Amino acid sequence: MTITGEIRSSKRRSGPPRLKITSLEVLCGILVLALLFQSRLVDLLDVPKLRTASTVFVAICVQAMPFLVLGVLISGAIAAFVPASALRRLLPSKTALAVPVAGVAGVALPGCECASVPVARRLMQQGVAPAVALTFLLAAPAVNPIVLVSTAVAFNDTPMMVVARFAGSLLTAMVMGWLWVRFGKMEWIAERALARMSDHSGRNRWAVFAESARHDLVDAGGFLVLGGLFAAAFKTFVPTAWMQTLGAQIVLGVLVMAVLAVVLALCSEADAFVAVAFSALPLLPRLVFLVVGPAVDVKLIALQAGAFGKSFAFRFAPATFVVAILCAVLSGVVLL
Amino acid sequence: MRRETQNILLVLLGGALLKISFSGMYLRYVQKSLLPLLIAAGVVMIGLALFAIVTDIRRGRAEAAEAGHEHSSRSTWFLLLPVMAVFLISPPALGGDIVNSAADTNQTQRSRNLLGELPSGDVIPLSMTEFVTRTAWDESGTLDGRRVKLTGFLLRADGETYAARIAISCCAADARPLKVRLGGDVPALPDEQWVEVTGQVVPKSANETNSWVPSFTVDSFTPVAEPVEPYES
Repeated sequence: MTITGEIRSSKRRSGPPRLKITSLEVLCGILVLALLFQSRLVDLLDVPKLRTASTVFVAICVQAMPFLVLGVLISGAIAAFVPASALRRLLPSKTALAVPVAGVAGVALPGCECASVPVARRLMQQGVAPAVALTFLLAAPAVNPIVLVSTAVAFNDTPMMVVARFAGSLLTAMVMGWLWVRFGKMEWIAERALARMSDHSGRNRWAVFAESARHDLVDAGGFLVLGGLFAAAFKTFVPTAWMQTLGAQIVLGVLVMAVLAVVLALCSEADAFVAVAFSALPLLPRLVFLVVGPAVDVKLIALQAGAFGKSFAFRFAPATFVVAILCAVLSGVVLL
Repeated sequence: MRRETQNILLVLLGGALLKISFSGMYLRYVQKSLLPLLIAAGVVMIGLALFAIVTDIRRGRAEAAEAGHEHSSRSTWFLLLPVMAVFLISPPALGGDIVNSAADTNQTQRSRNLLGELPSGDVIPLSMTEFVTRTAWDESGTLDGRRVKLTGFLLRADGETYAARIAISCCAADARPLKVRLGGDVPALPDEQWVEVTGQVVPKSANETNSWVPSFTVDSFTPVAEPVEPYES
């Protein structure tokens, strides 16, 4: 099942061995071409819209990379230092009960959504039930202290917003976990995501740590960049002005803000500052924006498709979208 | 993708992060407070890649490939995009385009700590955020009759001249554009030229119909270089 780089590249070899072209040669070729045509490239991008898009693209990548690195380091540490049996002891044996535990455990991962994807996948590989790992995946970026504090700072006049956000996000994560217990199918998750690490006994734990972290970083990094590309394109080329004028009507406002949260793909530590700026809108649509954003956005869908496979992401993302809207509305109606 | 190529990409990406960190370019994209994390991320990336390269060389290729079980995915190639963007294009800080295309200019929030007493003095330097917030929310007119100094870049639209500035809370993707309409003696300088303007607000000039864009009567005007921190936070 495992395809090594060696075999992959050998497929492309056609003819005598001296014509060997591997990814290494391709990379060198691209770099040389890019250097040669650098000024042409810069001229090509010297259009205000494209300039803005490239700045936003680099900004999203640069801002997310440290959190992805944090995520892969934690994931590597779990692979190397936390035996699967310890995780099983830590969590209630009944999955339905372990789901809320995982939701609350999300408080302990101080990062945005990019950090939680590699960690959730590693938890699955270590034998944690998918429902539990997915709950953690959804809860961690939304309920951790950094996000709550930044929400409190942004909405300093309406402290209930923090409580409502916490409740809405935790509820979303737990409902998705329970839904997975009831309806989830293992075959939706790509086999490679669940492939257990080979037996490490005898190998240096630090080497396992470094190799797992490196492998996750390479794997997830590309998808993060892809997500950043989509988000930058949306932000720059899709006019959002009309969305905000429509938003003044409450039902429409909720839907519009939910869609906006998906396409803008803001970091969960920053979205509160953006939400507070939509001052023309009532609080409820803005709460929906805060609950949907960390649970499902284009950057996250790309990362999930990379980590768990496409057939997972295309079921999980829409379901999360609907559940997050409902949970946010419920929490908003009760608490705001 | 081969392991060697992945490692080279990681070194390049880590190098790109370190380059923008040490050259100060990172301020075009993210908040100042992210700097230690950026440096750490760059160092970790390069460290992980170098560690893999060294162990591969020590062990010999065949065994390393077996140990690393690669389900090589083509998506890893995307890592090249930010690398090339940083090293070859180095996109500039956001400017006029984002202000012109934004519908939500001057969205500020009412906030107690921003609406305290103004400091005394002949000319009060204010951030664009504070100035715009006060013109929109402060009904007691603390700004009226006071000379204020603002820093921003010039922008012309619909026959008017504006001084604009962008505020971010995390990265350039969450940019909040701010602008002030300039009246009085404004020299003809190119768009996006950074300036320091001193003058007074036209009382009650920011209202809902003009999207809370206040008018500002300029009495002195100095072109300046782009500040090290292009965004307010």
